[in-house]
Amino acid sequence: MIRILTLIFIGFLFVLTGNIQAQSAADLVEQCANDAGKDATYLKDFIVKLGEAKAGSKHPVARYPLVLSKNNVYRFNVCTTEQSEGKAIIRLYDSNRLIFSSYDANTQEEFNPFNFLCQKTGIYHVFISFIDGKSGEAVGILSYVMK
Amino acid sequence: MIRKSILFLLSFALILSCQSRKGKLADAELDILDSLELAADIQISEEALDEIVQSVSSPIEMAALIKEIGTPFSLDYLATTDYVDRYNTSFQMAYSLGVFGADLGYLNIYNKNTQIVDYLTAINKLADGIRVGQFFDFVTLKRLATSRENIDSLMYISVNSFNNIDSYLRENNRGHLSALMMTGVWIEGMFLATQVANETSNPALSERIGEQKLNLNNLFLILNPYKSQQQIADLLTQMNEIKEVFDQVEITYEMGEPETVEKDGMVMIVQNEKSNVQITDEQLQQIINKTEEVRNKLIAF
Repeated sequence: MIRILTLIFIGFLFVLTGNIQAQSAADLVEQCANDAGKDATYLKDFIVKLGEAKAGSKHPVARYPLVLSKNNVYRFNVCTTEQSEGKAIIRLYDSNRLIFSSYDANTQEEFNPFNFLCQKTGIYHVFISFIDGKSGEAVGILSYVMK
Repeated sequence: MIRKSILFLLSFALILSCQSRKGKLADAELDILDSLELAADIQISEEALDEIVQSVSSPIEMAALIKEIGTPFSLDYLATTDYVDRYNTSFQMAYSLGVFGADLGYLNIYNKNTQIVDYLTAINKLADGIRVGQFFDFVTLKRLATSRENIDSLMYISVNSFNNIDSYLRENNRGHLSALMMTGVWIEGMFLATQVANETSNPALSERIGEQKLNLNNLFLILNPYKSQQQIADLLTQMNEIKEVFDQVEITYEMGEPETVEKDGMVMIVQNEKSNVQITDEQLQQIINKTEEVRNKLIAF
């Protein structure tokens, strides 16, 4: 009987841990949405958790589709959790073509956040990964910039 | 020892149940008339469907454009919350949740906090009705709306709540309700835009309306897997009347390379590839009329 109760208790702990993790993600989304700036209105978030890249294989990446509208200015920013091994990068793609990356690997410069003046309504993709394929957790934010 | 352990577990369970609003669920909510069962004829993969759903644009953008072109606020554009108690099937509740969500976006953009409370109350009722009330922080939202303290937080929590509701529905095999909610958001957003276009001629607004062809096609892809359900089949039939007009709207593209500039100390990427919408006045008028007809029919239930 005590063994069963212990198992139930462990089950409860798992549920509680899940709630705490969900809460942490929610906090990070809110903080990252605030980081986008006063002139930006939050539209969407992208919560990412990626493992470390295996030797010789491509870096893990999370991909999200989104529709962007002509004549709108959008802001993209990304926040990495403190526990992460790597730093997150957010990239915007139109079909298979890279429009912009928040990190320039050649100069090691960061552009976080960056704005995008959209002139073509259509489906775009946001890619989030970590520098050098390290593991980590991050939140990407898409905001609308008020004119 | 066993008794102590049971008491401890019961206390623990009580703490857990207090962490979310799930405890607020009334028994009646579990008896909602849910005529929508998961369709057996889903033809596109869950992953593909998920991608399409995520790519439907936000109602905030349409409301922001309406404000940016100088349109004065009008309550006449909004769906009334007076009949929210009559919505008692999951179809009606999910669809109306989307409708009021779009209206809430419009009210948020215009900072109309007094009216916002009515819509928050209606949304809260509908969210509880389809058992997603735990994602809608009614108490905080109401406090922010009535105190007029933090408009940014009100907007953030509203949008975030809808995003969370949508994700939860899709992740828990209730994608049909997410699809209905998205449809409600889109049709109401279209109604707002077309009502303004009917009163004010504005090229940017006409173009934005024409561009909705893309979102409408996405909605058909989202709803189609559930068309074996009579209510969704009827909804698609009505939406097809709008689609037939949209099919005549042409969208062309100009190629160009993006440029990077610095504006206000921040990097801005200016896209030079452009989309151009060809929409005649007649087509626009047909879209305005058809949207009004379909929208009014749907909210009448």
